[in-house]
Amino acid sequence: MKNLRFYYRMRLTFDQPVKEHDFALRFVPYSDSVQRIDIAGKTVEPADWLQEERDAFGNHLYIGRCSRPHDYFMYEVKGTAKVDAGCRVKEPCRECYAYPSKLTAGEPEVKRFLENVCLPDGGAFEKACILMQRLYDVFAYEPGATDIYTTAGEALRGGRGVCQDYAHIFIALCRQCRIPARYVAGLQIGEGATHAWAEIYEDGMWKGFDPTHNRFVDDVYIKLSHGRDYTDCILDRGIFYGQANQEQEIYVNVEEIV
Amino acid sequence: MNELIERAETINQLLARYGVKFGIYKNNTFHEQLFPFDAIPRVITKAEFEVMEKGLVQRVDALNQFLKDIYGKKQIVKDGVIPEEFVFSSSGYLPECEGILPPKGIYSHISGIDLVQAKDKSWYILEDNLRIPSGASYPLIARELCRRASPATFRNNGVIDNRNYAALLKETMEHVNCGGICVIMTPGRYNAAYFEHSYLAERTNSVLATCSDLFVENNCLYYKGYGQKKQKVGALYRRISDEYLDPCTFLPESLIGIPNLMSAYRAGNVSVINAPGNGVADDKGIYYFVPKMIEYYLKEEPILKNAPTYLPFYEKDRSYVLENLEKLVIKDVSEAGGYGVVFGRDLDKEQLERMRGLLITQSRRFIAQEVIDFLDLEIVEGYERVERKADLRAFVLTGEKTRVWASGLTRFSRNPDSFVVNSSQGGGFKDTWVLSH
Repeated sequence: MKNLRFYYRMRLTFDQPVKEHDFALRFVPYSDSVQRIDIAGKTVEPADWLQEERDAFGNHLYIGRCSRPHDYFMYEVKGTAKVDAGCRVKEPCRECYAYPSKLTAGEPEVKRFLENVCLPDGGAFEKACILMQRLYDVFAYEPGATDIYTTAGEALRGGRGVCQDYAHIFIALCRQCRIPARYVAGLQIGEGATHAWAEIYEDGMWKGFDPTHNRFVDDVYIKLSHGRDYTDCILDRGIFYGQANQEQEIYVNVEEIV
Repeated sequence: MNELIERAETINQLLARYGVKFGIYKNNTFHEQLFPFDAIPRVITKAEFEVMEKGLVQRVDALNQFLKDIYGKKQIVKDGVIPEEFVFSSSGYLPECEGILPPKGIYSHISGIDLVQAKDKSWYILEDNLRIPSGASYPLIARELCRRASPATFRNNGVIDNRNYAALLKETMEHVNCGGICVIMTPGRYNAAYFEHSYLAERTNSVLATCSDLFVENNCLYYKGYGQKKQKVGALYRRISDEYLDPCTFLPESLIGIPNLMSAYRAGNVSVINAPGNGVADDKGIYYFVPKMIEYYLKEEPILKNAPTYLPFYEKDRSYVLENLEKLVIKDVSEAGGYGVVFGRDLDKEQLERMRGLLITQSRRFIAQEVIDFLDLEIVEGYERVERKADLRAFVLTGEKTRVWASGLTRFSRNPDSFVVNSSQGGGFKDTWVLSH
């Protein structure tokens, strides 16, 4: 078990005012069996109103709107997390995690990849370990090679990408091998940006894999949301009127409390 | 009735003046074409309609129960009646709708069920349309004009008045209204069915709105017309498809949706008609299982038959399909509007082989059906009467009870060799008379 202190801030600056800005945010971590979250503070501004709710995947969702002209938009959250990755409980699995989704599509590439992998009979966990290792061996971390719309198949063909691509490919491989898998957006210890990893379903429980770093998810990870793929976990979805150029600043800090 | 046929030209001119058109995108340009009206009606006797009515109510009730089950307990899958992957890998299944129970538990408020009549006079269900079936306005306005063109025809024939569609639709919307006004939402005038949207809004005394008139505030949906005060919306009859409905939930690039509508809907503050996610029940692959749903949920025998259908997914069906491909019709389950329909007899040797390959490697993607020997209907072409293929879209509305509109859209193919009657493929339409005796 680890005690973590986290801080997340996102600020958008518009070079001219925008208005009628509707948004849906998934940036606040929530408690489950693995992580116990205490929120010390949370801000979203500017906003005419803000509503907290749960989406269809169980994530905490904040929706709201700012109709008046504004030249910035920011949200931040800080708090502490008690994380114990060993503390999983049995829970049901949604059927949708067993089938390809838009961004985990790419059957031909996935099948080709699997032709060169020798998987043991037996449990999902062992298979997933081999898939993660194999992916780590052949796929290169390279920012800028892909974008947020890149599918698992496309990324696999290109051979390079970022954590989102690692997660999508890993999920696609698992699902092809009949292992239900889901995408996770979250924070990892250190300073920098948000991170993405995956969970596989075995023995009635979800277990975390971080294919970007070829390691299991342990007590230094904080989950923000999960879903079929990146689309379900986008931190900030929104629509506004205006022709502004926008600049985004993200700051993440997670540190252990000793 | 001869008087009516003589005046067909005038009726068509009036239809054009009223803007009864169909818009089509082809090669990225927008064409508006008239929807040709043929004055010889399809006539359904009272006795025939009574059977059809019972069968349609039964079918739509079962489909509504199926949707409630799939987005809830999923019992029909757990009980092995429908294989899991037919449901959850369907593009119409939207996990974003999990856990939402629409007001009064109704998912398909307005169902468009397509039927054909075979030469032996029996009716077959061709497909279910539970998303946003269009077409009710065409026989509605055509009847109106026919009555004006030839009042005697309707004095001398006992035809059930079909002008109650507006009242039926209004009741259907009000039944699930969560407090507020009723709105018909259109993507705009470049939509294929824009005429229908505006006509139905006028007839039901609802507000016709586009996305720029609608917004979500404190989890409620509001309408604000130009220079007006905002009004809460209790029922939204949206004529845009699910993927464009809410850019904060579905396609982020949608410019015709309402951001965060799904949250207002999930909170039970607005009814969305028809419910998002209905595509899972009118998928061509699920069609095969509808008779089983009727037995499963209602413990009744299906009254109306499906066209004989095979699923290449099942090995037994697959071998039959591969052997008899030349006489079957193959449909791609993900396509609509008459696209993705292939008749085996139209394929040459090479194409047949390619199709066989697809049926083996992508078995979940296709269904195969026997070609039904349609009962052709007469149409007037120039100065003569010729026979053409035709189908019937029946409109079934679910409010407090499920009711069938005593009329419907009869579409026919103008091409003598074609079996495809979809309006988007250049067909025409007829009025559908249900007799009162």
